[in-house]
Amino acid sequence: MDNSRYLRNNLIDWFSQETIHNKHYAIIGCGAVGNEVIKNLVLLGVGKLDIFDFDKIEIHNLTKSIFFRESDIGKYKADVLASRAIEVDPNVQIFPFIGDFYDKMTLDMLKDYDAVISCVDNFESRIRINQICALYSKDLINTGIDSRFVIVDIYPFSTNENIACYECNLPASVYHQISKRYSCGWLKNISSKEKIVPTTPLTASLAGALASSYVLRIDDLNLQSSRRTFIDSMTGSTSNIDLQKRNDCKICSIRSKNKIFVKAPSTIGYNIFRLSRAVRKNISFKSSEPILTEIHCLDCDTNGKNPKIVFKKARDYDSSISTCPDCGGHKVKISIKDSFSLGELVTKFYGYNIPCKYIMCELSNELVIIEMEENNERNT
Amino acid sequence: MNVILRTADQLRKAELTIEPEYTSSDVIEQAIANWALPTDTDYTLVNITKQTTIAPNAALSTSRIEDGDILEIQPVLVAGYDGTNKG
Repeated sequence: MDNSRYLRNNLIDWFSQETIHNKHYAIIGCGAVGNEVIKNLVLLGVGKLDIFDFDKIEIHNLTKSIFFRESDIGKYKADVLASRAIEVDPNVQIFPFIGDFYDKMTLDMLKDYDAVISCVDNFESRIRINQICALYSKDLINTGIDSRFVIVDIYPFSTNENIACYECNLPASVYHQISKRYSCGWLKNISSKEKIVPTTPLTASLAGALASSYVLRIDDLNLQSSRRTFIDSMTGSTSNIDLQKRNDCKICSIRSKNKIFVKAPSTIGYNIFRLSRAVRKNISFKSSEPILTEIHCLDCDTNGKNPKIVFKKARDYDSSISTCPDCGGHKVKISIKDSFSLGELVTKFYGYNIPCKYIMCELSNELVIIEMEENNERNT
Repeated sequence: MNVILRTADQLRKAELTIEPEYTSSDVIEQAIANWALPTDTDYTLVNITKQTTIAPNAALSTSRIEDGDILEIQPVLVAGYDGTNKG
């Protein structure tokens, strides 16, 4: 590596080029703020970046994203960003992942990161990012902007057990907004229109700068609580707020338990059967996200005995499945669950893949979190 | 107890008496109604004086609020991508 490009950085008293070169961060979301964060970290000479985005570049992205050009329209954001970032500094190892981070980021990958930076545009993704970072005690920086204001949250999960997570301070109205976008369980409501939040390159730039600064200095800040910086980009007024932990937060209640992390094939087969014999009781599993288990048209199946087993992520479906594809009728019963008994898994879904990131169960006062490995799918 | 309530842009500000059994959600709901704040935005209540958030559903009496504290209604920002909120 040619170190001459970093010589001036070494004059900065709070800065260690070697430390930064050894860092490995995950950046989720390659939009306006993601562009800014990646720009900053690459210019500073960070070692490795994994960047996640499922989306392609559209013309309106060009007013806020420094790395995108008109000739990039239609290409994947993560691919373009990675290739442009390497042009800025070929010493940086940058790996683009096309798709939903929740599917692409394995827990082994998460373990390897020094921190995760959330640059997404919706509450559902933020909730999932918070969930995995809190469970795996991985430091999280969360960003959010509109056309005037900026927030950058720091959740130092790696060094603090008893701190607020992102969900601790989410108002009920957020969950209400999410539920309006889903017609039944986690099926997307096809009639629901997404709200467009106007943003500017100014707020994106502020968020990107602060998020980059915090992620590099998270250890030095020695925070005893999670913290939010709230900036008014028009007046420059800034408040630094300690985020209060909520006593009834579900994520924090899981966090406080003794946890055991294991991996298992996702196919429900002999392994689960053996587990059911070994524990000798019908323990229950909670899945990391809701699963569409069955679709049942009561017009086609008048006996009501032959529901079609689906066993796939509910988020991959929308409310159109409430119309029967065979008869066109609307008497379709849909079953969506995130909690399963061991017996139910063995008897009803034997041979199917568990279609989620992990399942968890309580065994002898310990929380066992089982990451699902890829496997042959019966439920395709 | 008497507090000063303001919006994050500080264009709206009022001194008001809050009942201890109120929650931050109650305060936010009334502010949205009285000040005609956008209803498609989510908000949190922050104690600027104490530099802490106020839990969404906790009674204000349990939130260490004191006479004269400045409370601010801040939007919960959801964008960060390019503003389209695609989900």
